[in-house]
Amino acid sequence: MKTMESVRLISGSAHPQFAELLSKGMNIELSKCESKHFLNGETSVILGESVRSASVYIIQPTCSPNVNDNIMELLVLVDAVRRASSKHITAVIPFFGYGKQNKKEKSREPITGKLIANLIETSGVDRVISMDLEASQIQGFFNIPVDNLYAEPLIVKYIEKHYKHLGEKVVISPAVDGVKRAKLVSDKLNCDLAILDRQTKGDKEDMILVGDVSGKVAIIIGSIADTCETLALSAKILKSKGATNVFALVSHGELSGNAIETLNNSELEELVITNSIPQTEKSKQCPKLKIINVTPMFCEALKRIIHGESITAASSKFVIL
Amino acid sequence: MGDRIKILTGNAHRELASEISDDLNLALGKAHVGKFSNGETSVMISESIRDMDVYIIQPTCNPNVNDNLMELLIMADAIRRASAHRITAVIPCFGYARQDKKDKSRAPITGKLVANLIETAGIDRVITMDLHASQIQGFFNIPVDNLYAEPQIIKYIRKYIPGEKVIVSPDAGGVKRAKSISDKLDADLAIIHKERKKANEVSGMILVGDVKDKVALIVDDMADTCGTLVSACEMLISKGATKVYALVTHGVLSGDAIQKLNESSLTELVITNTIPHAEKAAKCPKIKTINIAHTLSEAIRRTHHGESISSLFSDTK
Repeated sequence: MKTMESVRLISGSAHPQFAELLSKGMNIELSKCESKHFLNGETSVILGESVRSASVYIIQPTCSPNVNDNIMELLVLVDAVRRASSKHITAVIPFFGYGKQNKKEKSREPITGKLIANLIETSGVDRVISMDLEASQIQGFFNIPVDNLYAEPLIVKYIEKHYKHLGEKVVISPAVDGVKRAKLVSDKLNCDLAILDRQTKGDKEDMILVGDVSGKVAIIIGSIADTCETLALSAKILKSKGATNVFALVSHGELSGNAIETLNNSELEELVITNSIPQTEKSKQCPKLKIINVTPMFCEALKRIIHGESITAASSKFVIL
Repeated sequence: MGDRIKILTGNAHRELASEISDDLNLALGKAHVGKFSNGETSVMISESIRDMDVYIIQPTCNPNVNDNLMELLIMADAIRRASAHRITAVIPCFGYARQDKKDKSRAPITGKLVANLIETAGIDRVITMDLHASQIQGFFNIPVDNLYAEPQIIKYIRKYIPGEKVIVSPDAGGVKRAKSISDKLDADLAIIHKERKKANEVSGMILVGDVKDKVALIVDDMADTCGTLVSACEMLISKGATKVYALVTHGVLSGDAIQKLNESSLTELVITNTIPHAEKAAKCPKIKTINIAHTLSEAIRRTHHGESISSLFSDTK
């Protein structure tokens, strides 16, 4: 039986709020660590206390706004921790940047998601904990264990708790490649499923609705909300097809570019995202944004890993604290 | 020369890449390198590079070190997947090179990490210039050609700086470089070493050697914040040097370097164009630039044809 005393939590600078919540949930203080940039832009890290023989968990989503800096900081932290004689290094990556770049869409493109996986292994990571990878196959990009957690149970709970009074629901997948995810939710909620199929006619992008939303609450299920243009267009079409309300529940809120403005102007009633990416500034600008806290799920996963227990057994018992 | 060779560039130093490809009488290969709105780097190669010998020109230096590095790695991934025969990274200024040892406990060796990342991305060989420490070549498991700006610097000195000279190394680590130059110029050597009383605070410089009534030439591999350089200059003037020049390979010039230079007694700071610096040079008339594009293009030509690189650097007298 491993002792919790040899566990260290280290936070990069991408998402200190997440690390704080995780630290409280685990009842383990964050280890001292200073990350900064030299004047010439190079990343610098200093560990402030010993990690010798410890199992170290480095918490760092590789997300916007400075994706490449966040990735580099994770890699440099891992290098420092490894050279400080840690026993085991786990990268806790609530949001895996470049996850959408997981295949060659056109010839002569990179598969940057795979490259990032290789870089993470090269730096010396022994295992990865992630959440809702854009494609589950990304686990196979790694040669090391990847525990990919799912926000879906928490999303289902959120819907059951907050939208119960709204009447008959239909779950919407806003893209053909997300139908599997949406179906999992519609099965749990015991409601209908509909699909929005993206099509391009000339230079105009349009969407075709497959299924019926008339008189129902439409709940869009997605993995990433980025520029939110697809979400806004989806909401518009769903309303025009008779949906009474339109909500979106998405695992990761990147919200880049004009996302906030797009959301504020859209017919979407609410966008629910998790706290896998820091959102403090953006949620102030957009009252429609609601945030689900997924750190309890990560706490439970870390505890099970530390004690060598199964991650998947009774995973539906994850609860929001 | 046009058979089976392709020069591609990231965004770090397009100007240098153009000069290199012009030297080689080649058009720059078509590659789109940019950013998605979420900050992720986006790469697409727009022409066939199948079975080609590909050279990516990309210093991994400021102002956006991590973006420049990531562009290089992602380009290499795209090029490898497009069935290139061989990929060479031409990195005129190797970022993170000074992070080459654990100077504190529990510190990373980021220079080694970067070398590992470069290999992991699928790069077959590296051409670089004036690595901060030659040992960095040993961080790689692939061939590294470390070129030298020294011949160009010596030419510049002979052409533009008259009078009796003394070559000055501003720290103990650079004496070897300074001695090599002083030997070739048949000039005296002097050394400044410093006692660091606090971290990053330079104080108590000591001069070894004589600079009285001579033109002092400080040579170094890198000019970053220029604090050390300016302090060295003031000391040399106080010890009787008639003029002080600095000749440096990599002009990083971060922080308030420009202001310090403008306010200092330094006559000239001569740097090469391993790092783009047009904006900074515009603010500081003391900055002069040596063009090393030809050295790099010649190294690429020789690499492509399997010829010797080291003979580039013999016979500089």
